[in-house]
Amino acid sequence: MANLIPNVLQMKAEFVQAIWETLYMTFAAAIVAAILGLLLGVALVVTQAGGILEDRLLYSLFDKVTNLLRSIPFIILLAVISPLTLFLVGTTVGTTASLVPLVIGIFPFYARQVQNALLDVDQGVIEAAQAMGSSPTEIIFRVYLREGLPDIIRVSTLTIISLIGLTTMAGAIGAGGLGDVAISIGYARFENDVTFAAMIIILIFVFTFQLIGDRLAKVFEH
Amino acid sequence: MTGKNMIALQDISVQFKQRNESIQAVQHVDLTIAKGDIYGIIGYSGAGKSTLVRVINLLQKPSSGKVIFGTQDLGQLDAAGLRKARRKIGMIFQHFNLMKSRTVLGNVEYPLLGLKITKEARQQKALKLLELVGLKEYAAAYPKQLSGGQKQRVAIARALANDPEVLISDEATSALDPKTTKSILALLRQVNQKLGITIVLITHEMQVISSICHNVAVMDAGKIIERGPVTKIFARPQQKLTADFVETATNVKEALTRILKQNSVSERKLLIYLKFIGNTAQESIISSISRDFNLDINILFANIDQIDGVNIGYLIADFIGARSVILTVTEKLKAAGIAVKILDNAEGQVQL
Repeated sequence: MANLIPNVLQMKAEFVQAIWETLYMTFAAAIVAAILGLLLGVALVVTQAGGILEDRLLYSLFDKVTNLLRSIPFIILLAVISPLTLFLVGTTVGTTASLVPLVIGIFPFYARQVQNALLDVDQGVIEAAQAMGSSPTEIIFRVYLREGLPDIIRVSTLTIISLIGLTTMAGAIGAGGLGDVAISIGYARFENDVTFAAMIIILIFVFTFQLIGDRLAKVFEH
Repeated sequence: MTGKNMIALQDISVQFKQRNESIQAVQHVDLTIAKGDIYGIIGYSGAGKSTLVRVINLLQKPSSGKVIFGTQDLGQLDAAGLRKARRKIGMIFQHFNLMKSRTVLGNVEYPLLGLKITKEARQQKALKLLELVGLKEYAAAYPKQLSGGQKQRVAIARALANDPEVLISDEATSALDPKTTKSILALLRQVNQKLGITIVLITHEMQVISSICHNVAVMDAGKIIERGPVTKIFARPQQKLTADFVETATNVKEALTRILKQNSVSERKLLIYLKFIGNTAQESIISSISRDFNLDINILFANIDQIDGVNIGYLIADFIGARSVILTVTEKLKAAGIAVKILDNAEGQVQL
């Protein structure tokens, strides 16, 4: 063991710290991005042509903002967003500071995924709900989000996995995490076993989330 | 307008704009449906009937015209008022449109969710409706586990949850097999008779009209081209399209095509199509004229339908004998109130 992963064994504390940072960034950003993404995703669906609150102007605005934010490469977003980060968090470096670009980086992606999931809800069911006298709010909560739940869980899993990917880049602004360990220690010091170990831990995270997501989606599918 | 009107559509037009083109889906339609009626609207797909029924609950806003439901002008209502009115207009669909995330009971409960009643009262009501449609034991099942006919029964129970005054059926039996269609139509008739709910039904099948409707309107290219009591429309269709629907439904069309293909021309023979309406269908008129005029009558096709309680009989036969005698006989039949048409196949295509 000592021959196979000599550097990893000496860095247990750093790994524990990095795992904690990665999980913190993932979950904290996921919670905020989930709220923003769901709001934007629902807004895109209901305002689009033929939607229950059709509004061409609003839709066009939401659509363009989503596309714009999705077009910025994350590594650049990390830097570009720093004035906003400073305003919101009070600093531009560190794990908590990374949450701002992580949220901005992931929520438009999640919004698109939610939009697609909700578009798969049978239009006939929406029409039936309207015919039964449901209000737009009732249709959103009792029909769209409920009928679309298995798909929303699936796209949430996908989003969390993408988000883990983004956290590995957050090391660039001193956020730490497993990506930082892999690059600034493993890669920079030619300690290949460290890079490899960081990758394995991330893969374990990804597979775990995937497994939980698949199981959960099945529970709500009838 | 009398107080007995349930629905009055007044000069309804619906235009769809697709880029620079504008499509007239419904053109200046006036339609009045009496309380307690079962009113059928028939037409081929694209005739505008689906659009027209969606105007009734304003799922489709008309480009012009008025929708009067009971005494309310629906176009004058605000969003909340319209939602309240919609609860009194149940609707069922060709593809059932049940929520797959909810149980059968949950689907029937859905329309009651916004109301201020206890969960127990809501479930009791939903269970009662499931009992009415014969699916009480499926309350805990999910729609996926049901057959098409069962899904439509659940949809009917759901549509009845708010005690509607009107039930709109949008091709509700078009995705079902003939046997299931019959049972769903029987259920709709029961809903109409027991609960006094007015039914507006659209279909492209005349059999559906003939089995439960009292009145019918025929739609073509966004307009109502013919309307009236079903018995009258079946007995004396005025428009070619109406006759087409009637003859398809009564199998006359199919029989005629077959007969005309096989029939041979002869001096002493005439192919005649007779239509008996009402009681004449029950008299033994054919055997008596055959006896009295010494004619041979070779029956090639015969069918009797009961439409809205009235018998309508169809008969296609070769009358064999002297032409003058045959013509005397046809006059006699006409005098007895029977529609007579001589089908001279020598002229080729016969138009009924």
